[in-house]
Amino acid sequence: MLRSISARLLALLLFVGCDAAPRLSLEREPVAPPSAPRASSIPVDEGSAAAGTIRIASYNIQVFGTSKIGKPHVMDILADVARRFDIIAIQEIRSIDQTVLPRFVDLINAGGASYAYLIGPRLGRTSSKEQYAFVYNSDRIELGQAPAYTVNDPEDLLHREPIVASFRVRGPSPERAFTFQLANIHTDPDETDTELDALAEVFVAVQRASAEDDVILLGDLNVDEYNLGRLGQLPGIVYAISGTTTNTRRTRMYDNLVFDGRFTAEFTGRAGVLDLIAEYGLTEAQALEVSDHFPVWAEFSALETEVGDLVAERPSAGVR
Amino acid sequence: MPADLAQCVADLSDANPAKRLQAAERLSQLGCAAAPAAVALVRASGDEAEEVREYAVAALEELGPPRIEDLAHLTALLGEQRSDLGYWAATLLGRLGDDAASAVPALANAVVGGHDAAVSQRAAWALGRIGPAAAPAVDALKQAAVTGDPRLAQLAQRAIERIVG
Repeated sequence: MLRSISARLLALLLFVGCDAAPRLSLEREPVAPPSAPRASSIPVDEGSAAAGTIRIASYNIQVFGTSKIGKPHVMDILADVARRFDIIAIQEIRSIDQTVLPRFVDLINAGGASYAYLIGPRLGRTSSKEQYAFVYNSDRIELGQAPAYTVNDPEDLLHREPIVASFRVRGPSPERAFTFQLANIHTDPDETDTELDALAEVFVAVQRASAEDDVILLGDLNVDEYNLGRLGQLPGIVYAISGTTTNTRRTRMYDNLVFDGRFTAEFTGRAGVLDLIAEYGLTEAQALEVSDHFPVWAEFSALETEVGDLVAERPSAGVR
Repeated sequence: MPADLAQCVADLSDANPAKRLQAAERLSQLGCAAAPAAVALVRASGDEAEEVREYAVAALEELGPPRIEDLAHLTALLGEQRSDLGYWAATLLGRLGDDAASAVPALANAVVGGHDAAVSQRAAWALGRIGPAAAPAVDALKQAAVTGDPRLAQLAQRAIERIVG
């Protein structure tokens, strides 16, 4: 078994280290001129991101396509949600029409914000395809130097291979700014057992293939924090969301942000689920029209932190 | 079946794509309560309208195991020309576990019968979910385990392990 895993890992490393560029199929869209971000009308929790911190979110926007983008009452909520975060990793963009995300970002920026995006290729084994995206506030965040890529998966272990992108906080000097890599994933709900094991390999491969020690895997994992498989057994692994539900029906936990607490000491210990029903005064039916998931988020220092203090000791982070 | 669910099922085969979309979207919001609509949703996963297909797939992902009384319909859908239908039929049969034992011959045929790769793979996965009751499919799975399709080979091998213990 060890040999088999190592062989697959090697394949991933080869891609990450050497072959990322040829598989790169991400588009970088022009960024609107910098401007002050619009203040969120409703805070995420008791307050907006503390000074010197950033908030990273993950959001499965169920069947994000032309039907949804044609509903202004839904899109206004989605745009407001996006403006609450510095980066939001989106899953389930399901449309052949490639104007869906640009139109969404235009709406986010309509009030003067300055968000930009990265979008991955359409992925999936059937005619139903999904795209991942990162939408980020370009006033506060910039892309890192490493090119974004889709993880190569020669053995087809994952239904929708993660996209990985590197980012840096703007403002602090480059040598002090928090830099990190995000791996955006939506697992296949019928194969979470094998996919969570494969994601452990992906996590380690991404970690080892780059000088960047802060790797955050985030998305719709389709499992709670106790069923992370080998991913949850990696040394130092921390999950930001714990002991709650993340679906709109408030029955299951699916979504999380996972990282190595030994390295990502920038995590402030603040994380949560943005309950759209409570925050926007929606009925469950109205919230389900937006998505069957709520966004999940975690807060990190804007400054790179020397490794030393284990996040594992912080009370609001789950540790395996 | 509740009346509103029955209406959604009826609307899924309406000639008007807007009506089909509305029904598929509604079903995607019901979670496991949409299970009685499973067969209609599998058919809708091959709808000519993209958004109907996508909402149908979203509903199928979330509805959990189908009703046992839909077993025969789902088994028949395995042989559909449109591969998405076969893929979702196999997925739902797999979710039934050993309750889907009667579907084993059809699933075994889907593994080695020249179906679309995604259907063959999902059929192998489903046989593993059925477990020991899928013993009659072991020969087909052994054949698949040495195929050039690495995913099918792995799923077939894993299924054999689950079936024979």
